[in-house]
Amino acid sequence: MSMNSNPLNSHEPGEFRQRFQTLFVVVFIALSILFVRMWYLQVIKGEELRQRSENNSVRMRKLPALRGLILDTNGMALVDNQTSFDLVFIPDRSRDIRETIDKFAALCRKRSLAFAPDVPPKGRQRTFQPVRLERNVAWEKLALAETHALELPGLITEVSPVRQYLAGEVMAHVIGYIGEIGPEELERNPAAYAMGDMVGKFGIEKYLDPYLRGTNGFEQVEVNAVGKGVRSLGRIDPVSGYNVVLNIDSYLQKTAWDAMAGRTGAVVVMDPRDGAVLAMLSTPSFDPNLFTGKVTLADWRKLADNRLRPMENRAASGQYPPGSTYKPVVAAAALEQKLITPETIVYCNGSFVMGNRTFRCWQKKGHGRVNLHRALVESCDVFFYEVGRRVGVDTLARYARELGLGAPTGVDLPREKAGLIPTREWKLKRFRQPWHPGETISIAIGQGYDLVTPIQLLNAYAALANGGTVWQPRLVKRIETQDGKPVKRFPPVRRSVASISAETLKQINRGLWGVVNEPRGTGYVLRRREADVSGKTGTSQVVGLPQDEKARRLKQAVAQGDHALFVCFAPDKAPEIAIAVIVEHGGHGGSAAAPVARRIIDAYFARKNAPPAPPRPVVATAVPAGTAAGSRPGTAPTPTATRPVVSPTDRPVAPRGANAHPEPNP
Amino acid sequence: MKIDRRLLLNFDWTLFALVLVISGIGLMNIFSTGYSLSGLRQTPLYLKQLQWIAMGLAIMVIAFSVDYRLIHRYAYVLYGVAVVLLVVVALYGYATRGSQRWIALGGFMLQPSELMKLALILALARYFDRHRSLQGYGLRELVTPLILVLVPFLLILRQPDLGTGLILLIIFLAMVVFSGVRWRSVLWFGAGGIALIPLAWFFLHDYQQERILTFFNPERDPLGSGYHIIQSMIAIGSGGLFGKGFLKGTQTQLKFLPEQQTDFVFSVFAEEWGLAGGLVLLILFLFLILWGLKISQRARDLSGTLIAFGITVMIFSEVFINIGMVTGILPVVGIPLPFFSYGGSSMVVLLTGIGLMLNISMRRFILHS
Repeated sequence: MSMNSNPLNSHEPGEFRQRFQTLFVVVFIALSILFVRMWYLQVIKGEELRQRSENNSVRMRKLPALRGLILDTNGMALVDNQTSFDLVFIPDRSRDIRETIDKFAALCRKRSLAFAPDVPPKGRQRTFQPVRLERNVAWEKLALAETHALELPGLITEVSPVRQYLAGEVMAHVIGYIGEIGPEELERNPAAYAMGDMVGKFGIEKYLDPYLRGTNGFEQVEVNAVGKGVRSLGRIDPVSGYNVVLNIDSYLQKTAWDAMAGRTGAVVVMDPRDGAVLAMLSTPSFDPNLFTGKVTLADWRKLADNRLRPMENRAASGQYPPGSTYKPVVAAAALEQKLITPETIVYCNGSFVMGNRTFRCWQKKGHGRVNLHRALVESCDVFFYEVGRRVGVDTLARYARELGLGAPTGVDLPREKAGLIPTREWKLKRFRQPWHPGETISIAIGQGYDLVTPIQLLNAYAALANGGTVWQPRLVKRIETQDGKPVKRFPPVRRSVASISAETLKQINRGLWGVVNEPRGTGYVLRRREADVSGKTGTSQVVGLPQDEKARRLKQAVAQGDHALFVCFAPDKAPEIAIAVIVEHGGHGGSAAAPVARRIIDAYFARKNAPPAPPRPVVATAVPAGTAAGSRPGTAPTPTATRPVVSPTDRPVAPRGANAHPEPNP
Repeated sequence: MKIDRRLLLNFDWTLFALVLVISGIGLMNIFSTGYSLSGLRQTPLYLKQLQWIAMGLAIMVIAFSVDYRLIHRYAYVLYGVAVVLLVVVALYGYATRGSQRWIALGGFMLQPSELMKLALILALARYFDRHRSLQGYGLRELVTPLILVLVPFLLILRQPDLGTGLILLIIFLAMVVFSGVRWRSVLWFGAGGIALIPLAWFFLHDYQQERILTFFNPERDPLGSGYHIIQSMIAIGSGGLFGKGFLKGTQTQLKFLPEQQTDFVFSVFAEEWGLAGGLVLLILFLFLILWGLKISQRARDLSGTLIAFGITVMIFSEVFINIGMVTGILPVVGIPLPFFSYGGSSMVVLLTGIGLMLNISMRRFILHS
């Protein structure tokens, strides 16, 4: 019935027809609104939103440059680059670092793995800078991060080169170590460094950082929503850093290390002919490999709080009263000023009175009649008290400075100390007090205000040995490219030539020879069959230092005894090796420090006189670098990290690992 | 029932072709969303969607073969079945992501709320066909339709599924207004609706409230509720005039865009095909909707008009709300884009609806027996 008619049918005019027309219009308008909105998003805001989509998906990834190697004088690698798997957080406006870290920490806890990275505080965190949460991550943890990648937005694993210090403690102070750049360093040089960069913090690593570090490369990588790299859009390859070849001779260094076993102090070995530093040692030492990962607070504390200050390079930064080793300087000043002759006699009865003070000779019963030669050989204090008195503080200082004492030697290391050679003017400035004549007596035997660093002392003796030339001590021989082409050479640098006559030097050197080779010499223990070593013992009393702070620290030292010093060179006719040894609280220089030097000299000549041994020919230093490279035992030109990376976590990491490194050297 | 040969002569090829073209583009688009995941899934989504389309087409054949008047007669029964299914969902349904919408039916996951849309259209058409009123419906006559819509609406809102519930309300209001209401009723409805808004606010789940707040300021919580819409707008906008190209949308392929096979499927399309592609799609939908209205207008009887109208309204509102929400002019309420979003129930129900429209369209010249 009624079903048969349709009141809305278009055949019947009126209201219903109108409703359809309205509907057509409504639909058209509605879809037009959508179109206008799309126009707005895609055309008007299109460029801006395209940018945002690229920010979403395109990321610049740093390709860390392979750091240059550090080699010893014979081309033996002292460091190596290994592969480190790191956990890195890629920040993004839509991610919270803390949330991801907490989630991952919870996952780690379940498997009883430790994960507690330091997270930069909210304000300091740069929004788009990746944050390296942990270096050298154990593979269980890496696998965990990979398998749970989807729940851990922004957390990725990355491969980076990590430094391995092959020489460990033995060369720690020379080579130093690297670490992640700190905020202050970053601010100082924002152009050269980026956050997360590894920079030299100590030693050669710091001193030659600009050469060693190379130039980081970059890769534009498309990443997906969880921060995984999907494909590379373009890259600038990193440029490897240069290798640094040191003058250090591993063989001598190791010998010195063994000889110093258990002692606190420093050893420096130098070629007096050109200032090349063949060995430099400070004990106790530290393991620089501790710093390659994230150094733990506990480890750091242990090093920093150690009373023996293992982090200090005593060879260049330790300041000691030179003690009797200073006497040749006094002798040189007196001879040059014609205040004494080699024949001048001083009577030593065991003490010396100056005003109302009495100064004792170490030999309580006295040396009797003493001339310069005997005074040097037997280290008579009273002779030098008298000579020092005649010379006076300022003239003494002049000659000390001519020999390079009391000023940095310019050795290629950061944080070298200057030491102190006092003058009247200095005292007036420093303490606003006039110089007391009695003080001259103290400094004449290297006590009182006198402070030198082991390397300064050695440098002065090297000058005595080589005819008066003060060389700049050089740790670095040359800088070369990864395939051995020289980039920069470090030829000998003559800092000054002391105005000390050949005759004076001859007199002094004769005395120094006697110290070791005459039966009453204080260094007689050191005598060799060849009788070719000259040297001087010293015992530095560690009291009366100017700075209160130091004095307090050294109070303990007194209780433990004086520092033992020994400086020598050989062969006496044409010196080619000079050695300074200081053993803190070692007692007398002749008994505590001289044996250390003795072992080094023995080792040096043993190798020199031995028929050319195949493993590490000294010849390598003389031949061109290209040939020398061949003699390197496989380590030097091809750092480990350039080898194909074998990833423990399989697929997802390996390609990135490959990207993180430059092509192997040709 | 035998199909008259004359019926086939009147088969609405235009409607059929439009639906096939839109579904085909949709299928291609779903292929793109799954592209970067290939190898990870068991069956690629586009193949699954293809199965659903095939199944929907099969049901569509049934839906246009049987005279719609017969279906119309059993409208209340169908409605009853749908409501029962909704109750079953509420009691025994499967939940994903915190909402309980599915029941397992012979190996398929069925979403009865989709079916409910069609059942409601049929039931309302049945009611308004039975109770005609030339001077417009008064409040008393609207009580039954109101119950018809509120029962499933509340059940669906409980799941919770704000989007589908909203579509039911829209279908209801559109059909009431279309059938004619007295002004007084409109006022009453309006007043009642406004009074219910604050109440409804408390009835909404936290995440739904969150979404609505986010709509007004997406950057309010860019990593939480605002993430979807921001990423969606970036995807669409970065497509520009001509898009980034098929399979080349970075937002899509790199999975910045969430829910990309379902609610945000249009963003994928707009990113890869740009404004040009979006315009083509909008025009196709416009044709489809206008064609649906035309069928409604030309239907042989009131029941046909109402059913065709209801289905067209359903498609139109879903298109408008979906695209509106992914482009950021409407809150994210979770409504799929017809023929485009991945989803079996939605596709099958839509194709069934198209089957009914074909049914109505081709029987418009048949004289009454």
